[in-house]
Amino acid sequence: MAKRAALYGFLALILALLCLVPAFASDYVVSLFLDLLMWIALTESWIILSGYTGYISLGHSAFFGLGAYFMAMTWTHIPYALGVLSGGLVCLAFAFAIGFPFLRVRGPYFVILTLGLSEFTKYLFINLEIKLGGTVGRILMMTPGLETLYYSVLIVGTGATITAYFVKNSRFGIGLFSIKEEEDAANSLGINTSIYKWLAFGISAFFPGMVGAILALRRSYIDPYTVFSPAVSFQVIVMAFLGGFEDVEGALLGAVVLTLVSEALWAQYPYYYMIILGAIVIFIVKFMPLGVLHPIKQRLLKEPQ
Amino acid sequence: MEKRKMSVLVVVILGVLTLGFFSMSAPQALAKDVMPVGFSMSLTGKYAPGAAGQMQAYQLWLDVVNQNGGIYVKKYGKKLPVKFVYYDDKSSADTAVRVYEKLITKDKVDVLLSPYGTSIHFAVAPLAERYKVPIVGSTAASVKLRDIKSRYFWFITSCVPDRQMKALVDLLKYLNIKNIAIIYAQELFPRENLQFLDPYVKKAGFNVVLKKDYPMGAKDLTTLLSEVKGKKPHAVIALCYPAGAFTITTQAQEVGLNPDFLFELVGPAVVVFGPKFGAATEGIATMGHWSPKGKWPGAKEFYDRYVAKFKRKPDYLNSVLSYTECQIVQQAIEAVGSFDREKLRNYIANHEFETINGPIKFAGLENTKTPSMILQWQKGELEIIWPKETATAKPLYPKPPWPK
Repeated sequence: MAKRAALYGFLALILALLCLVPAFASDYVVSLFLDLLMWIALTESWIILSGYTGYISLGHSAFFGLGAYFMAMTWTHIPYALGVLSGGLVCLAFAFAIGFPFLRVRGPYFVILTLGLSEFTKYLFINLEIKLGGTVGRILMMTPGLETLYYSVLIVGTGATITAYFVKNSRFGIGLFSIKEEEDAANSLGINTSIYKWLAFGISAFFPGMVGAILALRRSYIDPYTVFSPAVSFQVIVMAFLGGFEDVEGALLGAVVLTLVSEALWAQYPYYYMIILGAIVIFIVKFMPLGVLHPIKQRLLKEPQ
Repeated sequence: MEKRKMSVLVVVILGVLTLGFFSMSAPQALAKDVMPVGFSMSLTGKYAPGAAGQMQAYQLWLDVVNQNGGIYVKKYGKKLPVKFVYYDDKSSADTAVRVYEKLITKDKVDVLLSPYGTSIHFAVAPLAERYKVPIVGSTAASVKLRDIKSRYFWFITSCVPDRQMKALVDLLKYLNIKNIAIIYAQELFPRENLQFLDPYVKKAGFNVVLKKDYPMGAKDLTTLLSEVKGKKPHAVIALCYPAGAFTITTQAQEVGLNPDFLFELVGPAVVVFGPKFGAATEGIATMGHWSPKGKWPGAKEFYDRYVAKFKRKPDYLNSVLSYTECQIVQQAIEAVGSFDREKLRNYIANHEFETINGPIKFAGLENTKTPSMILQWQKGELEIIWPKETATAKPLYPKPPWPK
């Protein structure tokens, strides 16, 4: 019990420190942490569906882009906080709308379907924007400052992490894991797997929508090619696999490690960091298929003997 | 045992990397005997091939400046050699924004140069305003650049779709062309150009025999090009990106589409276009506003130096725009005699600059001094054929048939 209290205290301390970052750090460090928190939010929300149920989704970039476009279209018409929240809600609604047919498809087919989803939304927006405005990009004026954006991402990132934690440690979460183990068996035991997956898909889409909305303001210029870039989906997957995609700590660690490592390498070895990063990822996936955290955890658990 | 080794290894790796991360950040104190110039460049990722022409232009400028001992800055009473501080933005706007924040707040460079490409320019421009640091844009072209409304940001190119398309239509009128076919890619820049081409074409009273789009990344355009051929247009206007220009040039030969005038928006000025198509380039027109033969001081010199250093031709758009940008920044520093950002800003906004692309002066954000031009391949060289004032050669019309 004391251990648990210590853990909570530690987490609260980290959160408090994160709140203080803009007060004492330079803009560069703040923007680095903004980036970090963004990836945490994306990765934590991704594991809620894909980590827990094994339905590997490449759809995160679709929700990210959708949130970004929602913000771009409503910016200066509605308040900032409302825009961010609605960006998430739009994605939630969208995920619910397409969820049932999408989640009937399993395995590699689901992966391809979600990849198709993000390409579909990209071209949908290219054509919509051409019809509406003649050209594609949008410039956002009078965007909020770095600090506001930082705190927004901090809230969303914390929210995603807490949500991922509570989902995992709930009946709902156990249901999701049972889908991963054996979906048909889970179904026959009375778990309504369709509803479970559907809910997880919606929750998982809510956070990237908000992140996209915030990031649109940070970039201040968006076009469909950049906001619907599949790179977002791929990086999230790499992060989740790196840290371990079955639990909250794993996803957190993956996002932190990959962001910091690539930052450290990137500034010093501009031409080689991708090669080094690639080697690290191959190494981890080959030798630690359950993520870097897994062997460490096992060791810690064995310790008492 | 295996597991234990593995986890120890992991901890060690993570430890080393974390240490590396924190130790790298100590900024070195700079005694004023060097002038750090910062920028972000797409060294990796999707923009990397195009960005190479810009990076090389920057490196050439660095060489030229430092061979002369640097730039004379009055405040320090001496010449300061230039030192580049640059980072890879991985072709991502988010990263580029971070790079400029780092350059401004942490590396504290004296001046900034621009990144590569329109979308990254858009992402970075607000920082110029926020930190009140002047940035002269280079490789960006869009009518939307005018909407940025920053006091600290400018752009040089005259390949702005509305002006560019007007120049094209003026040339077609001059050549007395009647029937035209328009094909365009479903992509950003081509679409933006089309939007402005349409009204000019209507006003000029051309007979548009065909107007069709093709999807981005299309590899087989033979059906479309055959259809164009069947309509027998005098001029074919292809609003394309480089990939499309290569496909169209190859497949127009295959289907025997040989109009009197062929315009390909972006592509023919790309470095590899000439070597790839050889004699087939003859008569192909494109957008651009530079040629080594242009009557501008230093144009030929720039070309020769570039070829000597990199063993390849400069990109007539990206490399030239980037070098021009460096010249503007250099002249502003020399005139102001310090790195005072407000003074530099005022100087850039209000003065005319002598560059390898001729005189440049900004009205608001835009360089209105350089006219929009049309280039055409003639005998293995890109010549300026329009407008007459800056032309280096007469338009080759009609375009000769494809070589056998």
